[in-house]
Amino acid sequence: MTPTNTVTDLSKGKPSEPPIEILNNETARIYTHIHPVLVLSLYALRFKAIVADPVPALTNTLIPLGVMQIAFAAICLPPTGSEAVVAEKRKPGEKKKPGQGKVASAVNGKVIPAFLSLAISTLAATPILMLTLILFGAPISTHHWHTLLAAAHISLLAVVPLIYVHGVDGEKWREIVACLLPIDEVYGCLIGSVLGAWLGAVPIPLDWDREWQKWPVTIVTGAYIGFAVGKLVGGTLLKGKKIKFE
Amino acid sequence: MARQTLLFALANVLIPVAILVFATGFFPYKPFMPGLATFEELGWEDKFGWTEAPEPKFDKLVFMVVDALRSDFVYGKESGMEFVQSLIRDGSAIPFTAHATSPTITMPRVKAMTTGSIPSFLDVILNFAESDTSSTLAAQDTWLAQLKAKEGGKLVMYGDDTWLKLFPDFFARADGTSSFFVSDFTEVDNNVTRHVPEELLNTDWNAMIMHYLGLDHIGHKAGPRSPNMTPKQIEMDGIVQQIYQAIENEDHLSNTLFVLCGDHGMNEGGNHGGSAPGETSPALVFMSPKIKKITEFRERESPIDGKGEGGFEFYKKIEQSDIAPTLAGLLGFPVPRNNLGVFIEDFLFFWDDASDRIQLLLRNAKQMKKIVEATFPSLNFEDKVRDIEKECGGSLNSGVGLSCKWQGIVQIMDTTAMLHPKLRMDQIYWFSRAAQEIMSSTASNYDVPRLVLGSSIALVSFGLTLIALWPQLTSISSTGVFSTLTLALYGILMFASSYVEEEHHFWYWITSGWFMYLFIFESRKEWFRKFAFHPAIMLLAIHRIIRRWNQTGQKYAGAPDISHSAFLQGGNSLVLWSLVGATYMDITIRLSRHIARSIAYSTSENSAALSKVAGARDVEPEDTDKDRFMGTLAVLPLGVTAFVFKLAFTARDAPELVQGIGAGMLVFVEGLSLVGVARMVFVGLALSASWLGMVEWKMGRDKRKRGGSGGGGFAPALFDIITLLLITQTRAQNIPLYLLFRLQIFFLTLLSPTPLQTTLTTLLLTHVSFFALGNSNAISSIDLSNSYNGVSGYSILAVGLLVFISNWAGPIYWSLAGLLLLSGATSVSGTAAKVLDEREIAASSRTWVAQEREFLEKVVETESEQAKFLSDRKVEKRAWESWKRHVGLLTLFQAGALVAVMGACTVLRQHLFIWTVFSPKFLYAMAWGVGGHLGVSVLLGGVVWGAGRL
Ligand SMILES: [Zn+2]
Repeated sequence: MTPTNTVTDLSKGKPSEPPIEILNNETARIYTHIHPVLVLSLYALRFKAIVADPVPALTNTLIPLGVMQIAFAAICLPPTGSEAVVAEKRKPGEKKKPGQGKVASAVNGKVIPAFLSLAISTLAATPILMLTLILFGAPISTHHWHTLLAAAHISLLAVVPLIYVHGVDGEKWREIVACLLPIDEVYGCLIGSVLGAWLGAVPIPLDWDREWQKWPVTIVTGAYIGFAVGKLVGGTLLKGKKIKFE
Repeated sequence: MARQTLLFALANVLIPVAILVFATGFFPYKPFMPGLATFEELGWEDKFGWTEAPEPKFDKLVFMVVDALRSDFVYGKESGMEFVQSLIRDGSAIPFTAHATSPTITMPRVKAMTTGSIPSFLDVILNFAESDTSSTLAAQDTWLAQLKAKEGGKLVMYGDDTWLKLFPDFFARADGTSSFFVSDFTEVDNNVTRHVPEELLNTDWNAMIMHYLGLDHIGHKAGPRSPNMTPKQIEMDGIVQQIYQAIENEDHLSNTLFVLCGDHGMNEGGNHGGSAPGETSPALVFMSPKIKKITEFRERESPIDGKGEGGFEFYKKIEQSDIAPTLAGLLGFPVPRNNLGVFIEDFLFFWDDASDRIQLLLRNAKQMKKIVEATFPSLNFEDKVRDIEKECGGSLNSGVGLSCKWQGIVQIMDTTAMLHPKLRMDQIYWFSRAAQEIMSSTASNYDVPRLVLGSSIALVSFGLTLIALWPQLTSISSTGVFSTLTLALYGILMFASSYVEEEHHFWYWITSGWFMYLFIFESRKEWFRKFAFHPAIMLLAIHRIIRRWNQTGQKYAGAPDISHSAFLQGGNSLVLWSLVGATYMDITIRLSRHIARSIAYSTSENSAALSKVAGARDVEPEDTDKDRFMGTLAVLPLGVTAFVFKLAFTARDAPELVQGIGAGMLVFVEGLSLVGVARMVFVGLALSASWLGMVEWKMGRDKRKRGGSGGGGFAPALFDIITLLLITQTRAQNIPLYLLFRLQIFFLTLLSPTPLQTTLTTLLLTHVSFFALGNSNAISSIDLSNSYNGVSGYSILAVGLLVFISNWAGPIYWSLAGLLLLSGATSVSGTAAKVLDEREIAASSRTWVAQEREFLEKVVETESEQAKFLSDRKVEKRAWESWKRHVGLLTLFQAGALVAVMGACTVLRQHLFIWTVFSPKFLYAMAWGVGGHLGVSVLLGGVVWGAGRL
């Protein structure tokens, strides 16, 4: 594993927390690999319907996608503020929660944050992403629902896991936007989805006259593919690297 | 570093060489056969009893061209040309759809119709350089030359002066009109029509040519569905009726053939140049009472529905070049020598005797055979019967196939068997049509070795630049990665025809990404509290407005955009003019500050006193209120004149844009001589530039005497002067874009990007602005409206330069703006900074020297200590080094882009879209390479950079 052009070892940057690790149990380790397959299958399954009539199809797809993302977060990821649990060896004892019943702990500690992340990303991230899409050239006077739904999909793919693990701390999000965090599976999802959505605009002007070239199918497709690639690469090849700009 | 300079110079010299070599292979010069054709011996004279050419059926010709007369304008159910339709029903007219090949612009189309040849693509360039003598048809064989050479031949011409340029000294009487203002729908046609009654009474001419431009203008202005379109068709129909009735009633006109045709059509946007079905389907009608003889058994329904894609195919479809040989047969003259047209079959029925028909066709075929023979000199096209069974079996390549078909004619003419004449005629048509198709197709015309050589030279240029830049490229940065991505993706997309048509999407897309990158890049250094108003986000937002300003490309042409929205037009034109006024005001104020600064200097009496102040080596005299007042007073006339010129020009060129302006003002500006006012603007700009240049030079000299570094104030001054020139050459509805550009410059100074980032930003924004101003890679989008500003006669140099400036205004603007950003000259040292906005000063307080120093610290870290104590000479030298690097990177892109475009044109030379998409792209690549890169980035950029170091 050699550092690539834009990525360098952690040691070079300023001290920062380590990358997010998948929870240390069998289910998490297995599901984290199944999850992207499930998400891509869902999209593949819905693709025809989305091409045929994007607005209702994308709306319907949001629900299973949301469920999957909640499941992914709850099963595989450490919730925000629980780094201690993950990196117990490094920061022993910090913020450790008092013992509770196993089920109650799972609900309080995992499912609720997961639902919260879903709500926040839908309410906060989607409008911001929609504005970003418009700044990047999305139609401004028409197709509002299309653009909004595209933004919602990107935010479910990219933002839900991030909010789950990092919360809504401003400083943290500053670092996320400025690409200062070390790459991990969750951050890889964000970078992958966003780059994928951006690259998804390339086929639109081609004169292939295919139905799927219409707005916003390619963007959403790019985001899904980018999500899977980013998650895979972020979790393996580039894990722990920091993005270097100079 | 001398080695690097040499490599850069060589690479830049190779760019035009590559373009030239490639162009000569891609658009080979077609040798034409000089001299007029004569009736020659055909062979088989005795056998068929031919003693002379078939008797002509007409002795006079009225050739009426209505520019952009698309087929449906005459034949369709919504046509206003009822009289012509009644003639078709009556049998006195034979209608056709005449296929016009791309490029569908007037000059090559007139060439095709008159010579019968297929004009080369180079005629496009010549169309814009109309006075070029090599493009005239004076020396070529045309039906005009043939008719003129006839006994008592006399030609008259009224209408589009393209004909007068193509046929100098051909016409006994002529009155040319030029399509100077596209908004002129009536005058331009009345100038033709007023001659018609008189000429119909004259008996001395044997050909009258008319070329009406009004309908084309309506198309350009408002498209084929404009409310003006049907009235114009009715007007044209009335003229047809007037002429036709004269032919019916006047004895001296009784043997007159009356041809009505369009030179090309138009697309749904009302433009033309490409090969959309609408553009390539003009109408063609032959009219005469005598035509009834041959229309008895024809279908004569009219109006009808069109067939084919877009519904522009009406009646029989023929080639536009078929007009020449058909006229030759009907009027009894030899077929023009370079003709590739085929006599239209329908007219054969004028001759009752089959041997006459065969003779006509054989003369046509024999003339074409000469061209074929010259193209395939190694093949046998003899008139002797030979055994061809061996060579003509199986599948044949184009040349051999033609030779076999010709031999087929020879055999069938030679045979003594009793044959139905139709068999002979079919055989002749078989050859002629194949010859027409093969000779007009382009494949046989490429000089492939030259294409490869040209591409290779471009590749060498690319390689040389890469070698020269290599030491600086080895350290990898994300900006470098982004630049590489841009070039690589651009190169790939040049092979996709739709991305050539929609190139703007690429630049808009990558620039959005680039601004987002800048946002992230800056956010890493420092978090901007109101991140939504971060300069990079503002850049992105402005970019979003700019890309929406003009809808360009093919796929969404005609879709709504800002410049055509109701927001700026009609009653709202006051909004437009407020924005335009603000743009002019901004530049005028900037210029007045430059002048104030220069006045302050020149009134301070050599600033002798200043030099005595210790340690004041960079001090300049302060400009006082009085100086500023004087500066404003000096510049105001120039600014106002420029604005008035724009208003006066627009009032004539696009009246719909000045509706909201007071009537009194309009009456005043309409009384002005546009040429005079434009000249005043140009002279004013030249005077300002020379005055400022002189003072700045003196100022710099004095400062150097005192041991300070040069002024640097001239570069921004020159930039503002050139901006005013660019705006003068820009259509009114695009002028507010310059305000947005200016805002982008402001936000870029807030970001203070690194030199490499500045270079990439320059590259991206030069391209974005090119397309945002409404340009595309299609010939039809070339803006000619400002090409005659201040030019009264015809000067190819002046007009060519003005055309280039008005179409490349955006790239010129951003090339120079990029240099200012590069040198930080927007905030030059000392009092010069006061010249600029205070916000800008506050925002980017870094002087040029400081930025340069920082840059050098990055590049040569070992020299960082010395860099702080650089001598002036060293600063000077370093300045040119950083300019050289900037130009080097731009050269790298330019050479790379040329390699891609040439590669695409070579590899895809058999592609269906080669003439419609890739050839125009190559023409644009030529203009980018020679004009945009060498002329602007290197030459003009060098001048401005030098001006910054005076
Ligand atoms: Zn036209």
